[in-house]
Amino acid sequence: MKAKRNLEELEAIATRLRLHVVDMVAPSGQGYVQQGLGAADIFTSLYFSEARMDPADPLWPDRDRIFLTTAHNTAIFYATLAERGFFDIEALKTYVTDGSALEINSCERLGPFVEATCGSLGQGLSVAVGCALAAKRQGRACRCYVICGDGEMQEGQIWEAAMLAGARGLDNLCLIVDYNFVQSEGSMNRVMSLEPLMAKMESFGFACQEVDGNDIGALLSAYEKARATKGKPSFIKANTVMGKGVASLEGLMFHQLRFPPEVAASARAELEAQLGEIRR
Amino acid sequence: MSEILTKLEAADFINRSFKPLPRSYGDALVEAAKADSRIVALCADLVPPTETDRFRDELPHRFENVGIAEANMIGIAGGMARSGEIPFCHSFCAFIVKRALDQITMQAAYPKLPIKLVGFLPGVATILGVSHQAIEDVAILRAVPEMAIFEPSGPEYHAAMVRLALDWDGPVYLRMKRPETPPPPFEPRTLSIGKGVIRREGGDMTIISAGLCVAESLAAATTLGEEGIDARVVDMASIKPLDAALVLESAASSGAIITAENHSIVGGLGSAVAEVLADEGIGLPFKRIGVQDRFCEGGTTPYLMNQFGIDATAIADAARQVMRRKG
Repeated sequence: MKAKRNLEELEAIATRLRLHVVDMVAPSGQGYVQQGLGAADIFTSLYFSEARMDPADPLWPDRDRIFLTTAHNTAIFYATLAERGFFDIEALKTYVTDGSALEINSCERLGPFVEATCGSLGQGLSVAVGCALAAKRQGRACRCYVICGDGEMQEGQIWEAAMLAGARGLDNLCLIVDYNFVQSEGSMNRVMSLEPLMAKMESFGFACQEVDGNDIGALLSAYEKARATKGKPSFIKANTVMGKGVASLEGLMFHQLRFPPEVAASARAELEAQLGEIRR
Repeated sequence: MSEILTKLEAADFINRSFKPLPRSYGDALVEAAKADSRIVALCADLVPPTETDRFRDELPHRFENVGIAEANMIGIAGGMARSGEIPFCHSFCAFIVKRALDQITMQAAYPKLPIKLVGFLPGVATILGVSHQAIEDVAILRAVPEMAIFEPSGPEYHAAMVRLALDWDGPVYLRMKRPETPPPPFEPRTLSIGKGVIRREGGDMTIISAGLCVAESLAAATTLGEEGIDARVVDMASIKPLDAALVLESAASSGAIITAENHSIVGGLGSAVAEVLADEGIGLPFKRIGVQDRFCEGGTTPYLMNQFGIDATAIADAARQVMRRKG
């Protein structure tokens, strides 16, 4: 159930996912494009390499669970699910249109492969802790991955869940924070810094790693190390760059970006060119 | 010394008698869990007051005290339910409903998971005061889709609560009251989803009540009977779904209705009954007995029920009023 792909193939997939993000957000002229581009490598590495799953049997009891608790980062999430074979790629065209299940906040009415409905921030880690506890009780080897936003870690419930995960030594749990340093109001420093985050998570009983969240190879090594860690849950601080992969957007720190057609078109051309490079 | 300490540790503000109390709910849950391996119990660090101490001791691998963290408890229950388990989550009514409402709606109700919320200390009934009182919990959860609400009127119905919770395909709220002193011997009784129980027949008027107010309503009916007013008393243990047919039949046969509940008059059982009557275009002498849209205070249960107008005296007064309006 684990897809085996080399790094080059994975980088091609990440670029394809970025193209989808651009195409999906472009029609509405605004949206979660920066976060999608920034998190493409996390999604690619998890869904196309690390996690064991079967798109033909999304409720396979021994599957690894991936919870997107920062549930508004949907363009990249839906692109990933569609490319991974959970639903028809054509459906991506309905993103954020009335009546579509591809809502701006992901919701399980899209299908059971949305492991929980998490638009209200801070809830996904608790659900993952429940799955991890149940997996231990049931003797299942499955792992629970959580993709959490950095701003989302200001929610108190995250720390309730982290405290229990640490206290129970849930080594089948891996929390990945997409550390792009932006929340709704702007830079995290402007709102409320999480630092020192590594020390906080260590003190909550997590085995902590800090990686370049846009380096697929580094992410895969971090997952492997997390898998090998016994008796402790894992925390991966994945430092991501908003807009990664599109030179004109890289590093522009907007929670919600205005995305006019000409910008979308040039982003698309740039990603197409990259894809051509990788293919050669 | 150690014997003295054990006695001191046993006090918990709920058992006012300092004698061993039965665990009529907790025992039923343990029996159900022994018969169904999917059942697990969670608690936010109120184990004896929620009668889950036997579950903790006898089925430790299926028991999780998550600490004093109700919101997290509901999320965890979501994960367990998604993994094929049936989590019963325990705390006081005030905390399990009000501290975790968003989590209840998103992680239990929206996905229609078999998560059973079990609250103790319903309504005014605690010496612990306004922070621990839940006079709006029914109103809040009645508005949440998929949610069922059941409230027992006494320990003879506690085992039935576990059965109702398991029979409802989705999330449930059980509004439990531990007896404060050892109750007299009783026979366990059954209940059905969406069905009220006629506890006393009478043709002049109907008192529809739930929980602690059922005994008060029965006492009021006895007093009224001595005055020549023959009141039917309905125990509406199934607050949602409500027994609308019984409400309408009671309206038709007795021509006057009062409701009595250990809860605010806003949004609870009285509102639910009024909605059924109004939707059917039925106008009749009607009165809601409950906490009059105000905050309460800590005290003994009989004192509070009297002070906040939800005891037999208040119910009998309201009954005389509607009888006068009925003419």
